[in-house]
Amino acid sequence: MEENKTLAIEQEEILDLPVEPTDLPAEPVEIVEEPAAEAAAEENVPLDRNVRLMSPTRMVMRRFFRSRLSIVGLIMVISLFLFSFVGPLFFAESMHKETINGVTVETYTPDNGKWGETELDETGRLDYATAESTYTVDGVTYTVYQTTETELKDNSYSPPSSRHILGTDKEGYDIFVRLMYGGRISLIVSFLAVFLITILGVVLGGLAGYFGGWIDNLIMRISDILMCLPGVPILLIIHTLLEATNVPKEYRIYLMMIYLTFISWTGTARLVRGQILSLREQEFMVAAEAMGYSTGRKIFKHLVPNVMPQLIVQMTLSLGSMILYESTLSYLNLGVPAPYAAWGTMINVINDTDVLQHYPFIWVPAGICIVIAVLGFNFVGDGLRDALDPKARR
Amino acid sequence: MFKYIVKRLALAVLILLGVSMIIYFLIRLMPVDFIQSKIDAISRGGATVDENMVQAMYEMYGLGDDSFGGILKGYVNWLGALCKFDLGTSFVYSRPVADIIVEKMGVSFAVAFIATVFEFLIAIPLGITAATHQYSLRDYVVTVLVMVGISLPSFFFGNILKDLLALKTGWFPPSGLIDSSVTNTGINLLLDYVQHMVIPILTIVILSIGARMRMTRTNMLEVLNSDYIRTARAKGLKERVVINKHAFRNTLIPLVTSMAGLLPTLFSGAIITEQVFDLPGIGNVALDAMNRGDIPFIMGYNMFLALLSVIGVLLADLMYAVVDPRVKLE
Repeated sequence: MEENKTLAIEQEEILDLPVEPTDLPAEPVEIVEEPAAEAAAEENVPLDRNVRLMSPTRMVMRRFFRSRLSIVGLIMVISLFLFSFVGPLFFAESMHKETINGVTVETYTPDNGKWGETELDETGRLDYATAESTYTVDGVTYTVYQTTETELKDNSYSPPSSRHILGTDKEGYDIFVRLMYGGRISLIVSFLAVFLITILGVVLGGLAGYFGGWIDNLIMRISDILMCLPGVPILLIIHTLLEATNVPKEYRIYLMMIYLTFISWTGTARLVRGQILSLREQEFMVAAEAMGYSTGRKIFKHLVPNVMPQLIVQMTLSLGSMILYESTLSYLNLGVPAPYAAWGTMINVINDTDVLQHYPFIWVPAGICIVIAVLGFNFVGDGLRDALDPKARR
Repeated sequence: MFKYIVKRLALAVLILLGVSMIIYFLIRLMPVDFIQSKIDAISRGGATVDENMVQAMYEMYGLGDDSFGGILKGYVNWLGALCKFDLGTSFVYSRPVADIIVEKMGVSFAVAFIATVFEFLIAIPLGITAATHQYSLRDYVVTVLVMVGISLPSFFFGNILKDLLALKTGWFPPSGLIDSSVTNTGINLLLDYVQHMVIPILTIVILSIGARMRMTRTNMLEVLNSDYIRTARAKGLKERVVINKHAFRNTLIPLVTSMAGLLPTLFSGAIITEQVFDLPGIGNVALDAMNRGDIPFIMGYNMFLALLSVIGVLLADLMYAVVDPRVKLE
């Protein structure tokens, strides 16, 4: 930034303009020279017409949107959000309360063309099972096929149709609607986890980096220990622990993700600590010291904002890995309980080889949703990293 | 150097102590009657749980005594056994946990090791081409492809491969490690193993290539921007020599260092992949143990993983000094 200012002044001297104080804004700016600058310089056009001033935010935005991958990632993420949070308003039916004989029950309206998350399609269908048996009579082998017709109560395994856009699963739930609600769980849970991880990481990393000494030592040794804890196995223990207590099943996934944050803040803390270690020796911190600011103000108003770029990148990238974590837990049946949907749970059915082979419409969409979410966050994170890197000149 | 190693070893012991404390107290948080119900469920499931074995576990962990002194005593007791590599007796298998871990580790190691070799063989050249052709179409294609690989959940992708390569086409067996319908010996047995391992290894390689490739690319770009590369080019060296001899060697530093960090991955077993393909590796056994509440195995497995990560971190740090002569250890 300092460099740019001197650059501007040098240009003024060359152009031999009347010495006027250029009103550079107080915040750091980048001066982008336009291609016509040199030609214009010869014609003695005032400087400010040839030079465009940009705020750092705009600079980052411009670099970010220049990369096609970041835009693709952003579109992926935004469309998944719309799908999960706005989609149900249009395509799904929510439960409504009904009072029959003084007892309030929550039900869905049957046959209104929309499906709810836990609404069964009870139209029923016929199921055919064929058994094959061989008999040998007088040296001739006969194969007898016996087909059994069963009337099923629920319209399960229904392929995509106008009634069910993506078909129904093995219980008879509408897959399309459950994808939206599953997305809500994945996105909420991973945002919650990343949010908590960042808060913990910034506070602990900030303290360690700023104070150094025994505080730093203590926090870093704790983080060493936590880093050596195995992730999924510990979560499995915690799930068993939650099973032993009387926590309602719906909340278990949230509690598990909170536990996950307790062991996952180490990466963020290390990042923040490393940055602050180098930042606290700089002049602006000496100035802050001289102003007599409180320690909290120095850490959270002067040091932490300087770590923000790296922090944002790290947060975006860890959103992707948290979604993977959540879906893995759901896949292992440790996520939201049975009637409710989660992407991982919807893929869980492939442990049945029959479903894996013959009903791809049941599990493929959920997998694609996970991939889109993780890929989207990774693309955005990568784009942000490049855009926020002050050394990148592109 | 010697002083540094001693310091690091002391730190490693401290970390292991911390980890053991956390794992022990997680287990201790479980109510005793819950543990008892889990044990009952195991006996109902067919495995015979010896009453003496349960008693031995209660004594080993000091369960049932919830006073502070009792917990402390239980922890010290358990830690003492741990130091003698006595991890207790598994309920499900009725055998020492340490034996089961050692026995099942082989399969997991074979799969992980072969997968890692392929991962390095594919990822490094990809990373180098992506770096030398930065911002070209090739760079974009490689980057996008490996990013998709990183983003795939292992259970989803593993099952797709299983469906396509095993169930639909019948090229490879879908699960297990050996074909139990025929008894193979010698070279045939080996071929049978290989056939069963192809899809799991393919799954792991595709999922893990991304991280390694991106690491290579970043390092390579950093090296390519350094002054000595410019000098090498300025003195008229062939581009091939500049890349392969001058640049690549320095890229190797972080790659070799990261190899030490691979230690846990090599031995701990890929839980999900082993579950999908029903491989009798340590990850699958551990998952089963956790679902059935085989507490001695769970504790032993977690400590084993922690030990591996501690050694991995230690080795990575030492390796760094060995590979890069500029690094001085204090």
